[in-house]
Amino acid sequence: MAGEGHRRNYSSTTSSNECSPTVGTDTPIMATPLRKVCDRILGFASSCRKNTAPYGRRIFYRDVEQDEFQYGNTHCLSSYYSVFVVRLAIMIGKVMMTQVQILPLLSKELGSENEMEFIAYAMLAILIGLLTILTWHFTRSYTKKSLDTLASGLRYEILQRPILRMWNILNSTAEITAAQVKLSEYVIRRYSKPANQAEQVELYEVMRDITWALFSSRKALNAITINYRNGFVQAFHRDHRSNNTFYIYSDLVNYSINSQGSYDTNMFSSHQAWDDQSIHRNVSAIWYREPLDPVSGEKKGKASPIPPDDLINIAGLSQVPDGAASWHVAVSKYTDSPLLQAALPVWDSSNKSIVAVVGVTTSLFSVGQLMRELVEVHSGYIYLTSQEGYLLATSTNAPLLTNSTTRPNLIMAVDTEEPIIRMGARWLEKDYGNKLTPGQIVHVENAKLGDQQYYIDSFFLNLKRLPIVGVIIIPRRYIMGKVDERAFKTLVILISASLCILVIGCVCILILTNGVSKEMKLRAELISHLDARRRAEASNNYKSQFLANMSHELRTPMAAVIGLLDILICDDCLTNEQYATVTQIRKCSTALLRLLNNILDLSKVESGKLVLEDAEFDLGRELEGLIDMFSVQCINHNVEAVLDLSDDMPKLVRGDSARAVQIFANLISNSIKFTTTGHIILRGWCENINTFNDARFHLDQKKMRCAPKPKLRQQGNHMKKAWKKDNKMILWFEIDDTGCGIDPGKWESVFESFEQADPSTTRLHGGTGLGLCIVRTLVNKMGGEIKVVKKNGSGTLMRLYLLLNTPADGADLHCQVDFSSQNIVVLLALYGSMGRVIMSQWLHKIGLTTSGVSDWNELTQVLRKLFHVRRRENGFDVNCSLNEPLKSEVLNIEDMKDPVFIIVVDIALLDLSTDIWKEQINSLDKFSGKAKFAWMLNHDTSNAIKMELRKKGHLLMVNKPLYKAKMIHILETVIKEKDLERQKQSPDAARAKTKDGDMHECLEIDSTHFDTASSEESDMAEMGKSNSPSTFHLREKRRETEKMASESQCQSFKKCLVELANVDAESREDPCQIRPNSPSTQYGKDMLVCNKQAPFSTQNESSKHEERISESSSHKEQGNSYSSKAGNLDGLRILLAEDTPVLQRVATIMLEKMGAKVIAVGDGLQAVEALNCISSEKDFKRESPGDDGERGLQTDIQDSPRYDLVLMDCQMPKMDGYEATKAIRKSESGTGFHIPIVALTAHAMSSDEAKCLEVGMDAYLTKPIDYKLMVSTILSLTKRTA
Amino acid sequence: MDVLSQLQRQLADFLASLYREGFVDDQFTQLQKLQDESSPDFVMEVVSLFFEDCEKLVNNMAKVLEQQVVDFKQVDSHVHQLKGSSSSIGAARIRNVCIAFKTFCEGQNREGCLRCLQQVNHEHAQLKANLQSLFTLERQIVAAGGSVPAMQ
Repeated sequence: MAGEGHRRNYSSTTSSNECSPTVGTDTPIMATPLRKVCDRILGFASSCRKNTAPYGRRIFYRDVEQDEFQYGNTHCLSSYYSVFVVRLAIMIGKVMMTQVQILPLLSKELGSENEMEFIAYAMLAILIGLLTILTWHFTRSYTKKSLDTLASGLRYEILQRPILRMWNILNSTAEITAAQVKLSEYVIRRYSKPANQAEQVELYEVMRDITWALFSSRKALNAITINYRNGFVQAFHRDHRSNNTFYIYSDLVNYSINSQGSYDTNMFSSHQAWDDQSIHRNVSAIWYREPLDPVSGEKKGKASPIPPDDLINIAGLSQVPDGAASWHVAVSKYTDSPLLQAALPVWDSSNKSIVAVVGVTTSLFSVGQLMRELVEVHSGYIYLTSQEGYLLATSTNAPLLTNSTTRPNLIMAVDTEEPIIRMGARWLEKDYGNKLTPGQIVHVENAKLGDQQYYIDSFFLNLKRLPIVGVIIIPRRYIMGKVDERAFKTLVILISASLCILVIGCVCILILTNGVSKEMKLRAELISHLDARRRAEASNNYKSQFLANMSHELRTPMAAVIGLLDILICDDCLTNEQYATVTQIRKCSTALLRLLNNILDLSKVESGKLVLEDAEFDLGRELEGLIDMFSVQCINHNVEAVLDLSDDMPKLVRGDSARAVQIFANLISNSIKFTTTGHIILRGWCENINTFNDARFHLDQKKMRCAPKPKLRQQGNHMKKAWKKDNKMILWFEIDDTGCGIDPGKWESVFESFEQADPSTTRLHGGTGLGLCIVRTLVNKMGGEIKVVKKNGSGTLMRLYLLLNTPADGADLHCQVDFSSQNIVVLLALYGSMGRVIMSQWLHKIGLTTSGVSDWNELTQVLRKLFHVRRRENGFDVNCSLNEPLKSEVLNIEDMKDPVFIIVVDIALLDLSTDIWKEQINSLDKFSGKAKFAWMLNHDTSNAIKMELRKKGHLLMVNKPLYKAKMIHILETVIKEKDLERQKQSPDAARAKTKDGDMHECLEIDSTHFDTASSEESDMAEMGKSNSPSTFHLREKRRETEKMASESQCQSFKKCLVELANVDAESREDPCQIRPNSPSTQYGKDMLVCNKQAPFSTQNESSKHEERISESSSHKEQGNSYSSKAGNLDGLRILLAEDTPVLQRVATIMLEKMGAKVIAVGDGLQAVEALNCISSEKDFKRESPGDDGERGLQTDIQDSPRYDLVLMDCQMPKMDGYEATKAIRKSESGTGFHIPIVALTAHAMSSDEAKCLEVGMDAYLTKPIDYKLMVSTILSLTKRTA
Repeated sequence: MDVLSQLQRQLADFLASLYREGFVDDQFTQLQKLQDESSPDFVMEVVSLFFEDCEKLVNNMAKVLEQQVVDFKQVDSHVHQLKGSSSSIGAARIRNVCIAFKTFCEGQNREGCLRCLQQVNHEHAQLKANLQSLFTLERQIVAAGGSVPAMQ
């Protein structure tokens, strides 16, 4: 019966058992450990009634399936996912890389750095973020997955153990119960019909024994109870706490056997009959408890009555309503753990009615024990509850029962004292409701209980009538603690690392892009600067060009103004006031022109249009002329002008004489302007470039001067020429004045344009501040430098050097007469101390004995001393009060044997204010035989004085200032005279007569002549208005000088002005005037005029002035009417080479109007041909020698095809003017003939002029052709004076 | 006689306006002064020569400037010639344009050159028209039996 029940009860088990493999076959190898667990469970289950097994197994299988599925699924998914992520990352990485590569390109092209930077930052951030996430993901997810798997395994393992124990308990309880039931059935059948009380008692006795046997065999049992149908109760109870065993039975008195019958019949009809009420029906029944010996079962003490159900639960019929086994959780007073009670009915023999109910109670204490042990090993909490939530066992020591006053009760898991369990239970309750459905499994990984994370797993044991829920709570830390920690740490590290990388990357990008952008910015700036500079240069260029272009336009009206003023001045009808006004206007215009020229000069230099000439010139003479010129001004200012050039200065240098002179003119005029007293010295010395190592301004000037003359001079001529080819000389100059000086702070700035040391100077001295600027530019242009240097004493010392070429044969002209052998004594009686000192130094150097005095008294004293000494030899003695140095000098002189005395007397020593000077001159008479007197005249020395001097036989006169060349003249003249005297042996009488015939006896050095003769070329250039303002400028000054000179000679101011008015004409004439003289002088163009001729020359000049006046009036006429001018060019044959028909026509008409014969050709080639075809004719004509002869010839043969002049356009087709000129000059070379060629060009720059002159043209005219200019140019070139 | 004086005044006014507006300058006056009995049509001759020359040069320059690679040197020489001839007859405006033109040539500025060329053309046309009317006036005066007043 029991077996059947078994089978019936567990048929479902088998079926599920059978079908389980089919489910299991699907499970892969992965699940084998779980399978083993299941098998073990199955093993247990098959040996006993396992109503829970199917569920459990199914749960497990499902779990396995699910898990496996999930695992596979997640595995698949995650692998797909990771592959995808990796691909994505690679793609993004590639994109980033390309972008990073593109970045610089982008930045270069776009130039929008900010945008670019932003992109870079964003990309970097994205990249780093992705990297971080990926790393974190890979490190974490896989670990977590595997750990999770392991952890869930562990949890099941842990859970399984208490469950197994539970089952064990259940099994043993069930076994005991079953055994009890069988035995009871057996016993009851034997006493099936107890007839009487005794049998009944016997039955109970037997039952008691049997029960005891079973009870004692199972120590773990808490109690075994048998509840008979008649209400009799037999029970054994073991109190585990006190280790006492009791036997409990009810009083038999109240139970009748009969009552069984009625009850039996309706047992199946109504189960309600067997309810608990039946037991409690007779509450009056008395139960007894008697302690037993736990081993033998003997009575140990007296039975004591206890209230029914007081101690233990007696399983009654109510617990087996359907006659099947039932489970029940009970509590007892004597245990503090819940009790598990199994109840089975005992059937009667007919198997139709229940005669008794057997209950077996087992304590669940041991389950708790096991749980505790498990928990000790694994930590965490495990508990079992009933379906209703009553705690059955926990892994903690918390009490499972509440002690109420009446009896202990089970407590709910949610009310337990253990906080974790309580919280877990509450959590479960909250999330899953009060009741778990059977078979439900809860698996939570991250339950937050308190402040910790727990794994919660619960499962459901579906025991018949006693479903049990098992819950395991494991702190997450226990399983995943390290992993979480690591994961957290990794995350932190990754994040911090990525942040670092991000920051570093940002910084890198910032630095890189910063560099790039900085570079870009710099480049942009540079470009803009370059642009600006180019623009500035261009505008500057335009300005310069404009100015240069304007030169002609500006100067022409000025020239016109000045010319007209000159004409006006010549007008006799002017009143005195008008005359003064006009003169003033004339002066102002001149000043304006000068200023204009300065500005134009400057602009020309700036525009790079200034071309320096490279021609030989005598620098010494130029400077002497300059000093002569300025000395007039100086003497007026009472300033001494001294020229001090060293002997080693090359006589001839190559360079632009006009510009060089302009430099010094500007400097000297500047010095004069600021010097009121004292002196102005122009010093010069030379330094050969070969010996020039480290030329510095700070070198001592004296040292420089003492530098030995180049030794090379002593070397052979051949050698000399070799290096002189490109012999650059460094010529040093100093302009030393005793003026107001310049503030050291301004030493640099005075050379700037429009800069003056003191703004007030403009008021005081005038000037524009351009002079020094021009000087500097010119000096720099000549390869030199200028600066102001420190000077002892007041005044300014300007020092400059020029780099000039010396011509190959320059040094050969350096011949000097050796005066030292002549035994000459020079007595310098000069007013200005500076000039005297310098001169005497020089004289000493060349070996002459000198002595100097500065006033008349001294002079007479020295003279007396010198000559009285000689007289003393003849018996005289004079006491002289001379100062010491003079005395010693005099003594020195006395020692000399037969000296030649030269006494240079400044006219200023004479007292000119009164008539005393005549006496003074007379007083010198007595020395005239013993010494030669040379007189230094002022420019304004009156003729009366000159006449007086001549009368007295003082024929040697020179103008101030005294410089070397003049001194040499004096010396030479004296020596020559001496020689003559010696030759003639008639020292006294014959001298005067010879002198008369000798042109050299009287020296009157005339600066005017000197000037005009200086350079023919510059004359022409000026006449052509040819942009050489410097000469113009200089010329203006010279004119002033001239003016003064002529003033003194003619005493006619008006006439002088007339002379000025006709500057053009005059200069045109000058060459002719001077030419006959120039060869006659030994020293270039210095004029030596015989004293006897002097009055004549004045006469001549004045007559010349008359001529000029008439000339100018004729000019005036010409200006008004062309017809009157006709004949000006009468008979001239002019070849006009001009390609432009218009110009050709115009020029032809112009020239023809003036009486010239014009032959026009279209280009340079034709011009050359035209000239060549007549060259043969020329040949025989040139036979007549001399200029005059030729000119005569020329006028004679009017109709010959000879040309007097060529007007050559510069730009022409086929052959331009330059080429044509070259060709013409080439064909001329060797014949000695030189046809004047005048350039015609629209270019107005001096460079063009230079080019014209370079190819051999003689003059230069700019278009449009100016009549006057053309005529004057042509006239000057053809040398036809009107 | 009345007509004649009117014509003469007209001529004087016209000439003055020409000077004022800068079409011609003193050089033109000089040119006019050169004209006398021996060369009665001198001015016209020269001016027509100039116009011929000018047209030729302008055409040449236009041709050169049209080319892909402009030979600025050539243009420059043309301009130079034009400048010379224009300043010789006193065509001030053309000369001024030429100065600018030359600068552009030196700067190798093609656009500037073209602009200047146009300007030259324009000035040329204007001058031509003006001078033609001037000559017509003069001829009318001569036809009326008067004499062309000389400029001072």
